[in-house]
Amino acid sequence: MNRLLLASALALAGAAPLGAQAAPAPRAAAAPSVFAITNTTIVPVSGPRIANGTVVIRNGKIEAAGSGVATPPGATVIDGTGLFVYPGMIDSGDRMGITEIGSVPGGEDTQELGQYNPHNAVLSAVNPSSVHVPITRANGVTSAITSAQGGMIQGWAALIDLAGWTPDEMAENGRVAMVMTYPRTGGGGRRGFRAQGQGGDAAEAQNRQVRELYDYLREARAYNAKPNPVPQNLPFAALGPALRGEVPVIFDVQTEGQIRGVLALADTFKLKVVLRGATESWMLADTLAARKVPVIVGPLTATPDGDAPYDAVYAYPGVLAKAGVLIAFQTNDGGEGDARNLPYNAALATAYGLDPEEALRAVTVNPARIWGVSDRIGSIEPGKVANLFLTTGDPLDVRSQVREVFIRGQRMPWDDRHTTEYQKFRSRPKP
Amino acid sequence: MRASVLLLPVTAGVLAAQTPGTTDTTRGAALPVLGVAIPAAGTLVAVTNATIITATHGTIEKGTILIRNGKIAAVGKDIAIPAGAQVIDGTGKYVMPGIIDAHSHSSGEAINEGSRSVTAQVRMQDVLREDAIGMYRELAGGVTTLNILHGSANTIGGQNAVVKIRWGLPIDSMLFAGAPPGIKFALGENVRQTNGGNIPGRPARYPRTRMGVEELLRESFTRAREYQAEWKAYDDAKKALKKGEAEPIPPRKDLQLDALVEILEGKRLVHAHSYRSDEILMLLKVAKDFGFRIASLQHVLEGYKIADEIAAAGTGASTFADNWAYKLEAFDAIPFNAALMAERGVKVSINSDSDERARRLYQEAAKAMKYGGASEEEAIRMITLNAAWQLGIDKMTGSIDVGKDADLAIFNGHPFAPASRVEMTLIDGRVFFDRLKAPTLEALIEALKRRPRANTTSEGAQ
Repeated sequence: MNRLLLASALALAGAAPLGAQAAPAPRAAAAPSVFAITNTTIVPVSGPRIANGTVVIRNGKIEAAGSGVATPPGATVIDGTGLFVYPGMIDSGDRMGITEIGSVPGGEDTQELGQYNPHNAVLSAVNPSSVHVPITRANGVTSAITSAQGGMIQGWAALIDLAGWTPDEMAENGRVAMVMTYPRTGGGGRRGFRAQGQGGDAAEAQNRQVRELYDYLREARAYNAKPNPVPQNLPFAALGPALRGEVPVIFDVQTEGQIRGVLALADTFKLKVVLRGATESWMLADTLAARKVPVIVGPLTATPDGDAPYDAVYAYPGVLAKAGVLIAFQTNDGGEGDARNLPYNAALATAYGLDPEEALRAVTVNPARIWGVSDRIGSIEPGKVANLFLTTGDPLDVRSQVREVFIRGQRMPWDDRHTTEYQKFRSRPKP
Repeated sequence: MRASVLLLPVTAGVLAAQTPGTTDTTRGAALPVLGVAIPAAGTLVAVTNATIITATHGTIEKGTILIRNGKIAAVGKDIAIPAGAQVIDGTGKYVMPGIIDAHSHSSGEAINEGSRSVTAQVRMQDVLREDAIGMYRELAGGVTTLNILHGSANTIGGQNAVVKIRWGLPIDSMLFAGAPPGIKFALGENVRQTNGGNIPGRPARYPRTRMGVEELLRESFTRAREYQAEWKAYDDAKKALKKGEAEPIPPRKDLQLDALVEILEGKRLVHAHSYRSDEILMLLKVAKDFGFRIASLQHVLEGYKIADEIAAAGTGASTFADNWAYKLEAFDAIPFNAALMAERGVKVSINSDSDERARRLYQEAAKAMKYGGASEEEAIRMITLNAAWQLGIDKMTGSIDVGKDADLAIFNGHPFAPASRVEMTLIDGRVFFDRLKAPTLEALIEALKRRPRANTTSEGAQ
C-alpha cells in the first residue's frame, strides 16, 4: 500500500488513535475556504490574549479575530474549546528545501563553489516536496528564512511559507535579504580576531579576506553607480539593493571581533545589517541596541565557545533583549530535523533570563518586522495572512500538542512521513 | 541555608575511607583502580519542602529527602529532620533523580580505535580526562552519570566506562563503583565506512557490507568460544593435576578474546549502535545463537518497527528524542520511536551522544510525551531509571528511593516546563553543581562592569 493510499485510509478511519499528536478530522475532497475556530483563546502576540474568541479565516486571510465574532454561514467550524490559537512561527535561519539528507551527496544542495555568489537565489532550488516541510509545520512553524552556506557571500535568502506546490507559491519574499559572512580566525573564545593557536598565519589570512571583501563591495558599489553598465555583471548587480539599503544583509558571524568588523563594514557601505548566530553579541548589546541592529539568535542547541560561561548560549538572547536589541530565533537546521524545535530553542532562553512574552515575539512578530512582512504575517489580526495554529498550550512547552495548522488559510494535512510511519507500525500485529 | 552545603574543597577533612572499590578484572589479575578516596557527603543532608519526582512511585508535593552517608535514607511528606542535618531548602523547587546519559563521549580524549574491525581490548577508561568541560556543563544540566562509550567506527569497539560526574576530583574517582563492565558494538553505515570513511589511498577495511558485519560477529564469537574452551581445558587439567605430573601449558593470553568471553559469560554488557530494523534483528539473532543478551541497542532509530522483537529479547533501547535525516539510515527515524517502543514493552532511554544534547536531556525526554503520549513518569524514567537498568546500575541509582545513591537534580520548576533550569546537582548527597556559585554569563557581565577601564579601542575598523 503506498503512502498516499495509506494516508487517505487513515483519514477515512478517522477514529484511529494517533497518539498524542492527533490527526484532524477527515476533510472533504474540496477544501472549503472559510473556517471558524470557535470558543478558543486567541493569542495575537501583537496584543493582549482574548478569551472565548473566534477566529474567522476566509480566502487565505484572517477575516476576524475576537470575542464577539460570529461564525459566518457556510464556515467549517473547528471547536477550539480549551485550546489556543497562535500566529505561525518563523524560523529565521535554516536550509529548508535545499537539504534532504545531509550525509548523502545528492541529499544536500547548499554550497556553491567560490567565495562570492551574491547572484545566487536560493528560492529556485527549494524543493517544495521536501519531507522536512510538512514535518516542520506540524509543530506550528509556518515560515522559514532559507539560505545557502559556504563562502563569503552566499546570495539571496528566501522567506518561504511551509506550504505550496511550487517555490514561487511558497515564497513570501524570494529575495528577502542578502547573506554574507565575515572572516574570522580559528578558535573562537572571547576575541574572535585573535588567531588562537594558529599563529600569525590565520590572522594574516583573515586580514586578506577582509581586504578582499572590502574590495569586492567597493567594485560592486562602483558598478551599481553606473547608469547602464556594459557588460553587465550579474553578481555586482545582485548587490545593488543591499548597497542601496533597500534590503537587509544577514551576516552569519559568531565572535565579538567579527561583529565589530561587520559594524565597520556597515558604516563604510551603508548596509542595513542583521546579525545571525552572533553568540558573542552580548558583549556589544548596548551598541547593537543603539544602532538598531537586529540579532537572529541561536541555535541555542550549541555548546559555548572556549571558556565562555556554561550558560552563555542559553542566556545571551535575554541579555540582548534586556538591552533593547530586536531579536528573533533561528534553528540553523541543515536537514537534521531541528527546524521543528524552533520554539524549544526559545524555551531554553526563557530558562536563562529571556522574558517568555519576548521569547514568543522572537518567533513571531519580531522576525516579521525584521524581514519586512509584519503587515502580512507574525500575528493574529484581521487582514493578515492566515498562518496560524491551534494548540493545547504554550508553544514553548514541549508537552503542548499542535492540533491544527493553517498556512495562507489552508488547513494543513497530517500525512507527513513521521505520522504515517507511526500509524503504520503502531498497527503492526504482534509477530 | 544553601551556604551550609557549600561544596567543600577536596582536601577538607571530610575525606572518608570510601574508595571507588572498582576492581579491574579485565587484565586477569584483580588490580584495584588507582584512585583517591571519594569525599563523603555530610553525614546528614535534607532537601526539604520540594516537589519530588521519584520516577518509581509518583510525585510527592512538599516532600523531604533525607540523605545519610550519601544514600537516600527517607523520602516522603512527613520526614523528621534530625538535628545537625544540612538543609537544602527546596521550596518552589522540583527534585528529580540525577539524569543518566546512556550514550556519551564526554571526556574521552579519543573515542575510536577504528584501525581494525574488532578492538574489544581497548578501554575508554584509559583515555578519560577529568578536565573535560563538557562534563561540567552536563552536570549543570542535571546529569550525574554517563555511559562513556567507544565510537562507532568498527563492529566490535572498545570497552565503556560508566562515570559519575564528581567534578573536581581525579578521573579515577569518577568511575562508577560496581557498574558492570560494558562494550560498544556498531552496525550499519559507520562500520561500513559509507560516509567519508572510504578515503582514497587508505586500504578498505573489512567488512564493507551488512552481510560482512554479521559474518565478522559470528567469526569473532566462534573464536571466543574456542578460546574459552582452551582455557577451560587448561583449568580442568590444572585441577586434575596429580603429584609429580607436569604442569599443563596455559593458552596464549588474548586481551581481545578475554573481553569477548566476558560477553559470552554475561559479565560484559553489550551496547550496540544500530539504526535499521534488519541489522538489529541480525544482531539479536547472533546474540541468541551465542547465548548472550544485548543490554542496549543504541540509537535504534528503527526500533519502532520491531519493538516486539526487541522486547522479547529483553534488550533495552536507548534512542534520540527526535534527531533524524542526518544520514540515509536515519531517514526512517520518527520522533514517536521512544513512546512506541515503550508502549510495546521495551525499556527505553533517551540519550545524547553529544555534549550539547546532554545539557538538556530533560527537554528531550519531554518529547516522548509529545510524540506518542508517554506518561510523565515514563518520560522521566527514560533519562533516569531505564538508563540505569540498561547499564546494570538500577539497584544503585536512577530513582528517588530509600537505599539508593543520593544522585539528584534540583530544578527551579518542573523539569519539562519551558522556563525550567537546573539549580543544583547532587551526587552521593554532595552538591557538585550550584548555580548560585557557578560562573554564569550574568556573573561575568557583572564582573566586566566592575572591571577597571583601560583605554578602550573605538568600535569599528580593526
